[in-house]
Amino acid sequence: MKAKKVVSALLVAAMAASMFTGCGDGTTGADSNSVGDTQSSEDGGVKEFTAFFAVPAGTEINDDNEIQQQIAEITGAKVKETWLTGQTAQEAVGTLIAGGEYPDFIDGGDGMAQLYDAGALIPLDDYIDKYPNIKEFLTEEEWDKLRQDDGHIYWIQQFGNIYGEEKATTHNDEAFWIQTRVLEWAGYPEVHTMDQYFDLIEAYNEANPTMEDGTTNIPYTILCDDWRYFCLENAPEFLDGYPNDGSVIVDPEELKIIDYNTTPTAKRYFQKLNEEYQKGIVDPESFTQTYDEYIAKLSTGRVLGMIDQWWDFAYTAGDSIKQQGLDKQGCAYVPLPITIEEGMKNQWHNSGGVLNVASGLGISVDCEDVEGALQFVDDLLGQEVHDLRFWGVEGEDYLVDENGEFYRTDEMRTNATDTAYKASHLCTYSYFPQYSGTSRDGINAMKPEYQAKEFYDSLSTNVQDCFAAYGAETYVDMLGTSEAPGPWYPMYSHSNNMTTDTEGGLAWAKMGEIKHEYLPKVVMAADFESAWEEYMEVYESCNPQAFIDEMQAELDRRMEEAAKYE
Amino acid sequence: MASLASKKKEKIKEPGVKITWKEIKRQKVLLLWAAIIVVYGIIFYYLPLGGWLMAFQNYKPRTGLLHSEFIGLAKFRQLFSDAAFLKVIRNTLAMGVINLVVTFVMAIVFAILLNEVKSKGGKKTVQTISYLPHFLSWIIVTGILHDALSSTGIVNELLLKFGILNQPLNFFAHPEFFWPIVAFANVWKETGWNAIIYLSAITAIDPSLYEAANIDGAGRWARIKYVTLPGIKPTIMILLLMNVGNVLNAGFEIQYLLGNGLVQSVSQTIDIYVLKWGISQNDFSIGTAAGIFKSLVSIVLIVIANQIAKHNGEERLF
Repeated sequence: MKAKKVVSALLVAAMAASMFTGCGDGTTGADSNSVGDTQSSEDGGVKEFTAFFAVPAGTEINDDNEIQQQIAEITGAKVKETWLTGQTAQEAVGTLIAGGEYPDFIDGGDGMAQLYDAGALIPLDDYIDKYPNIKEFLTEEEWDKLRQDDGHIYWIQQFGNIYGEEKATTHNDEAFWIQTRVLEWAGYPEVHTMDQYFDLIEAYNEANPTMEDGTTNIPYTILCDDWRYFCLENAPEFLDGYPNDGSVIVDPEELKIIDYNTTPTAKRYFQKLNEEYQKGIVDPESFTQTYDEYIAKLSTGRVLGMIDQWWDFAYTAGDSIKQQGLDKQGCAYVPLPITIEEGMKNQWHNSGGVLNVASGLGISVDCEDVEGALQFVDDLLGQEVHDLRFWGVEGEDYLVDENGEFYRTDEMRTNATDTAYKASHLCTYSYFPQYSGTSRDGINAMKPEYQAKEFYDSLSTNVQDCFAAYGAETYVDMLGTSEAPGPWYPMYSHSNNMTTDTEGGLAWAKMGEIKHEYLPKVVMAADFESAWEEYMEVYESCNPQAFIDEMQAELDRRMEEAAKYE
Repeated sequence: MASLASKKKEKIKEPGVKITWKEIKRQKVLLLWAAIIVVYGIIFYYLPLGGWLMAFQNYKPRTGLLHSEFIGLAKFRQLFSDAAFLKVIRNTLAMGVINLVVTFVMAIVFAILLNEVKSKGGKKTVQTISYLPHFLSWIIVTGILHDALSSTGIVNELLLKFGILNQPLNFFAHPEFFWPIVAFANVWKETGWNAIIYLSAITAIDPSLYEAANIDGAGRWARIKYVTLPGIKPTIMILLLMNVGNVLNAGFEIQYLLGNGLVQSVSQTIDIYVLKWGISQNDFSIGTAAGIFKSLVSIVLIVIANQIAKHNGEERLF
């Protein structure tokens, strides 16, 4: 009898629960179609969209996030964002396609072309003219670059767009990074080549094998997890003084594609890594660590140097180092202008925006309110909402001085790097279109990290001292800057979207596969020469020429397109 | 499911029962239930097989199953000329067989050992603790493995303490350790769970057999050998047959999560291949072809195993 009672109580509870969820679904359903809906006054008639970004860059924010709420009040819409976790972009996108159901907004990352192939995206060209902020976002030439082979535009590239005057402060890209304590110890020497870089790290580590608290230093680590193995793989292009075309080198004079995997520089670079590995300078866990383990390692401040992209570590490990006060011990990272030989021009940093046409924000065929969605994107680009996204709330996240210049207190800066605060308060909609450069008020930067004074004040004194020693004021000054490369740039926007459908794409996939296996082997090998020879042999068997030819064809096509606008 | 239903119909045909309208009417409830199961089977087991068409097409999501171009066996040819796929078959078979043998033997041994424990409390405690890992997801298990086997993990610490190694060994950088690590993880995770079935089979053995063995002077070892093992033999045979069909399901998550570039030539299984070259590269055809190959091999394996069992007069599936 007792058991029966328990069971019936459970049943009642379950039914009640299902009724409640039923109600919940009902209201959100009404909200999302709230055009002309009178009932949804509770939420102020806020439309709710969904978005998936096949990039791991974002973190999910709380449902009751404050700035998201404010943006919703202004724009009448909010977006529930989800991000890539534990898969590659292609895997996630492939799974979406196989399932046939899409969120309203989607950025497929490296899988964008697959979404287009599957017919999952809505052509946007007919809409763009109706939304002034979206229209203004890109130039005619840039919109044309986004056209696919059927002549339509399916996505809006969100990044690399500079409004007004460029404000260069952070080097958001790849570099050889080093902790300030190493440079300080050595009296801020000039470091220009890979050999000097490793000599410095070796010398420092010998003199100071541990951190202040006794933790052993890790002199140099290499992130090699899945697609993030660029930290190991693409340095040869930079070492030779070329910009980040990502998958190939473009000879700017001859306009010829060069394969950076087989250059003499590539061999010297991997041979150097091999030597350092044998000496115990390269972290033995380099090739087996996951991204999370790598970030955890950097966050302890133990790692003296590595190659990485700023965005790949700064907002996680970098913020963590700040939060723990380790930057005061000299554990913050600065970039160094390293090339293979002394006296070469480096292009680790290029000025001008980079339009990566390979991906962007698209709207899927499952979106029921395309105009509402685009209106939201349009609103996000307005100055008021843009300031809310990146600066935050005036008085809470930043202050304004008598000249109208925005600035932050130390507490505000600390908040901005605090994970819990970010989740509950800040909402950047970081994969929706956005500007860097100068605000429409002509005074401030679009984002705090590009506000010269604000940027400088936010640095720890160790980094400021380091910059001063090199006569630099920003990260970019540490590297020096170069003009934007030619109109073809960047070539990776083509290779990222290749699939095994073409011969070149198949070669590209196979090259990636074998590089994942052989590059670590080459670095760890007891006998470098024979390991390198074996690697080259296997590499050739992937038919890299087919890939190079396809990239050459794309380069020629891009130059032809560009000629039309001259 | 479909075969179950047809068996029922066969039984109706037993001598003396003729299929007449009257008979059908009399059994209409049974037939109705059977029909539901048949429909379920058709919808969820047979209709999806239509997707196999993709393997013979140059399938594109945009054109769909109906309008994609047919290319015959080209995808299969591509598959078998790909050295990577042959390696993947080898890895899948190797890990499948190792896992099967190790987890199978361990579960039986564990069940028998547990059965010999006299203290009820101790037995229950050990059993509960040992099957708990079954409920952990692979992502957690691989996390534990990564930590335990890392250069500062417990395994390396112990090996260093005992002077077996001079410096920490990076287990995941050596291809030769990969299969044993996977096998160990499987044993750790599944032994307790798998042993439950054997334990229940053991409790079903008639206690008088043990008494008789005792009287005949059989020791503990002899009782295990002559009473317990023969008693659970039918269970062992059926489970073995079912698991043989599963050999090619050597796993996806653990290899996917533990693998890295250095060990990829031994870590990748057919399932990973399908994900990598099928779904990631938008080439559903090659993924389907690999899947078909896997299914066919599994069917062949299970039929062979069943025939062997039949030939030896053992318990069998069909």
